[in-house]
Amino acid sequence: MMYAGIDIGSNTAKAAVIKDGQLLGTQVIPTGYNPVTAGIKVFDLLLEKTAQVKTEIAAIVATGYGRASVEFADKAMTEIICHATGAYFMNPTIRGIIDVGGQDSKAILLDTSGRVENFAMNDKCAAGTGRFLEVMANTLEVTLDQLGNFSRRADTPSKISSICTVFAESEVISMIANQQRRENIIAGLHESAAARVAILANKINIREPVMMTGGVAKNSGMVTALENRLGFELLVGELAQENGAIGAAVLASNLSNK
Amino acid sequence: MKEIESFHDAIRDVSAIAYTIKKKSKKIIGYLCSYAPEELIVAAGCHPMRLFSSKSDIVLAENHLQAYCCSLVRGVLEDSLSGRLDFLDGTVFPHTCDSIQRLSDIWRMNGRYEFFADVVLPAKLNTQSARTYMKDVLTRFKTDLEAATGKTITDADLSDAIKKVNLIRNHLSTIYTLNSRNPGLITGGDLYAIVKGSMVMDRDIVADLLPVIVTRLEQTQPPVTSAKRIVVSGSICDSPVFYTAIEAAGGVIVGDDLCTGQRWFEGKISEDIDPLTAISERYMDRMNCPAKHTTLTARGENLLALAEKNTAHGIIFMLQKFCDPHAFDTPYLKKFLDEKKIKHMVLEMDDQQQRSGQLSTRIETFIHMI
Repeated sequence: MMYAGIDIGSNTAKAAVIKDGQLLGTQVIPTGYNPVTAGIKVFDLLLEKTAQVKTEIAAIVATGYGRASVEFADKAMTEIICHATGAYFMNPTIRGIIDVGGQDSKAILLDTSGRVENFAMNDKCAAGTGRFLEVMANTLEVTLDQLGNFSRRADTPSKISSICTVFAESEVISMIANQQRRENIIAGLHESAAARVAILANKINIREPVMMTGGVAKNSGMVTALENRLGFELLVGELAQENGAIGAAVLASNLSNK
Repeated sequence: MKEIESFHDAIRDVSAIAYTIKKKSKKIIGYLCSYAPEELIVAAGCHPMRLFSSKSDIVLAENHLQAYCCSLVRGVLEDSLSGRLDFLDGTVFPHTCDSIQRLSDIWRMNGRYEFFADVVLPAKLNTQSARTYMKDVLTRFKTDLEAATGKTITDADLSDAIKKVNLIRNHLSTIYTLNSRNPGLITGGDLYAIVKGSMVMDRDIVADLLPVIVTRLEQTQPPVTSAKRIVVSGSICDSPVFYTAIEAAGGVIVGDDLCTGQRWFEGKISEDIDPLTAISERYMDRMNCPAKHTTLTARGENLLALAEKNTAHGIIFMLQKFCDPHAFDTPYLKKFLDEKKIKHMVLEMDDQQQRSGQLSTRIETFIHMI
């Protein structure tokens, strides 16, 4: 039996399919303006990529901020539950998750059976989220993928004092005007965002081992800044961005087994 | 139920309610806090009108209050300055949180209404001197009301007012008990409308409607539900989206520790002793809010008792943004609940709260988690 999970995030739409408890494949596309279309498209591309047909999929769980837009899903569940399930599926020893996505960052505590024991989530504010890094990358004329490399070459990370994305951007503009090195500014931005996320982790007294998930986990500069701030290593899998969709697929299989 | 619809109608258009009341030549006295002694306002032949923000854009209030004041205080001041509260004949400010006290100063200096009173209640409620002082303050307020209305408030007036207020409070309490016993008997949206409506509508009408609602609910077959039982704690909750979000996520509110809920209506006034003493005792003994002090652990114990009485699966703290008294109390209350292994979650919200994705995600995850 096959099961699928679809995660419609603010920035990217992800899909995953599992068969007999094994991950068959995943797909990521930009969400764009229309989450309904994104859901359909990412699912179709996933089926194409894994050479499967819709009728073979026994159940689908949708997650992410656009979860209600996936009309063909059997159930919608929050991304917190899905990330917990996904991380536990990939590595059952995981007890903590730091998930930093486009518009949200979350710290999640898992019990020994992979259930959510506690969680903390950022407020409306975009500080400490992927959106924050995206705005800053634009200002600094680098791509999101380049942020990690730039950050690694920093010698003295700049000090970003504003926690608000809008204020931080104007602070960065002043730094650019003062000809501070781009590498240092980027490292400073990572430290500033990591400080926000670490607050969430501390709020729930996160327990090791901790996995980092979400699109921002692909940014090595942010991972390092978070590790330095938290004082322990973060496990980052190849499929960190797709983890929510994987969890949704696992939950879809539980749905059918009930 | 058409009786419940009356409450929905009332909260949809409070000014319409106000003008109907004024047609009866009743003066309307506004208040913002559940420590306002509305029994005395009723006894004076006036209408006690709880003030909520109309949630309009803040423009005029910006000149008086910073953005980090709570949305209730900013919103109500905006309503006043822009003339939306012109139906008021006066206002009473009981001594509670700093923001409401400072609002009182701004309000008095802008003097739009005929009657103004600060009721400087004691902050510490666990001493004999506070008990004596409470009665003195209420006596003073009674005198102020007499001067404003030109009417002497007799003991008989006070006793009648106590009976009416007790009737309303008892019936609200019964509705909560019925809903806790049979969750889903009444929707969260209806419960919100009934409680809010009871604070703004003509109390005679409320006193007529509530017993009918109770009778109807007693005759209603309760739905079968496996919804998670939630107790809500905080200051005011004027966000119907909160109730619908909880229900959509598979939860049901079975009790609350809210200024616009059980803290406002729980606590019967004795009908057997001197009426002013009885009113004073009720305000001394009702569950206090964090702007008042009884014992160090009173609020935590009350919350535990509420959770146990209602066999709650979890507690949601509705923290109004920039509400210092509640924010200061939250860590201690969380610790209290942790020790008893009661699951809880803090939701920071404001009056303008819309049903956002983040709100739904938090509530859905919490309900799944418990």
